[in-house]
Amino acid sequence: MPERVLDVSDLPPPEPLEQVTAALGNLAPGDYLRILHRREPLLLYPWLEEHGFVWSTQPGETTSFEIFIWRRSEEQPTIVATPVLKRT
Amino acid sequence: MSAAGLRLDQAPPFFVPLRFFITAPIFGALAAATLLAGGPQALASRWTPTALAATHLLTLGFLTMTMVGALMQLLPVLAGSPLRHPRTVATVVHGLLSAGTLALAANFLIPGPVLQFVSLAALSVGLGVFLFAAGTSLARARSDATVLAMRLAATGLLITLLIGVLIGLGGTPSRFSADKTSTDMHLASGLIGWIAILVMGVAYQVVPMFQLTRAYPSWLRRWLVPLLFVALLLWIIAARMAHALPALFAALSLGLVATVLAIFAVTTLWLQSQRKRRLPDATVRFWTLSMIGLLAAVAIMAGHAVGIIVEPRFALLAVAWLIVGFGISAVHGMLYKIVPFLAWLHLNAAGASSAQTNMKAFLPDSQALPHVWLHAAAVALLAPAVLADPRWIYPAALALLGSFIWLGRNLVLATLLYLRLQRASKSPQASTEKIVGTAR
Repeated sequence: MPERVLDVSDLPPPEPLEQVTAALGNLAPGDYLRILHRREPLLLYPWLEEHGFVWSTQPGETTSFEIFIWRRSEEQPTIVATPVLKRT
Repeated sequence: MSAAGLRLDQAPPFFVPLRFFITAPIFGALAAATLLAGGPQALASRWTPTALAATHLLTLGFLTMTMVGALMQLLPVLAGSPLRHPRTVATVVHGLLSAGTLALAANFLIPGPVLQFVSLAALSVGLGVFLFAAGTSLARARSDATVLAMRLAATGLLITLLIGVLIGLGGTPSRFSADKTSTDMHLASGLIGWIAILVMGVAYQVVPMFQLTRAYPSWLRRWLVPLLFVALLLWIIAARMAHALPALFAALSLGLVATVLAIFAVTTLWLQSQRKRRLPDATVRFWTLSMIGLLAAVAIMAGHAVGIIVEPRFALLAVAWLIVGFGISAVHGMLYKIVPFLAWLHLNAAGASSAQTNMKAFLPDSQALPHVWLHAAAVALLAPAVLADPRWIYPAALALLGSFIWLGRNLVLATLLYLRLQRASKSPQASTEKIVGTAR
């Protein structure tokens, strides 16, 4: 499952939200998005739910949080490990 | 795909906080106009009717006004616990706080029983309703450093209100000076317990979020605000029981308040200096000014604690810098970020495409960045006005008046652009119409 990485950790609000939603619009079928973020994107979660995405938020390696996002109709990426901070 | 259709499950309608933000500069401008009208005698002491009227126009009409509005927005976002009935609470609190502040300021200038009753009743009920609504919300919230600060700040506001009402019931303004202890307690709980503690608690969240700094150290977030509250209580006890306690007790408690505030200011300046993103930003600059104002006030407090500074006019300058330099600068910085962000958020939630709305358009840097210098001039000019020649009150008050008019103009233009974009997003052509805000 190909990974697309988007680092929004140095952007002021609301640019992370704008970039993530734009990137998800261009996400090829079968791909998943890995967001590198310094905060938990609480405003993003309800938007993901409404637009048919599933996510898993985990502690990041280089940033505070990494958010993995994939389509609800597709398989969970194997990279998504437990424990998760938030998941639907 | 864009951020259009954001769900704002818990956020109140935009005009709930906005009405407080838009009203505040009017009270700020009234305070500056009061000082101008009062002239060189205005700051002869903290007891002049002009000084008392201007102080309350600034602390209630500007600072408390914006902080109440901000809390109505931040309680759901930062504490996860929205206020119930936000529209009703906003209408009641905004109306009574506005009327009560006007009546109080007028009553300092024109003593009389009617204005006295109206001001005390409106402020007690207005702030009482707010404290009840915010208190209920804070009781439900999950506790962290910011929620704890909000709880202590609400306690500080309650103490300030109660002492203020007792002073107000005690007699006419001319008799206020008879009870310096009560007014000292009122001043300390208002400036430190309410304003400083709330600014600190909110800073822990919004400075890293909007100024792109690293987080405040966790030990600082955990200990600084509770320590400040304890130091404040010790200082109040020292003031109340000055006859029974050694003078060293009062000096130590004041020194502790000054130390805690200095740690907060220096840490914030250090975090700002470590930012990776070096672009000029009005919010960052206003917060730098705010922390410098705080440090300047703290230096006077520290000098007072160790006995180097004894003259009352220095205490007056410390209070002026705490209000105009620290509190009002920080609120400017917050408003210049939160108003455009909320406008963007609500437009997207209403279905406007984020590709079509540009947050920067609501408050362009060209309108916000030069404002910092005018406000800094107002802060600096307070020093000669209080310490050297009272005629300096004219340039100081003029700079302050200009600063509030500038803020009000920017907020009104941002609101008008929001309304225009909101109408455009609802129109049938919205999907094809380019509604980027370029009007300014």
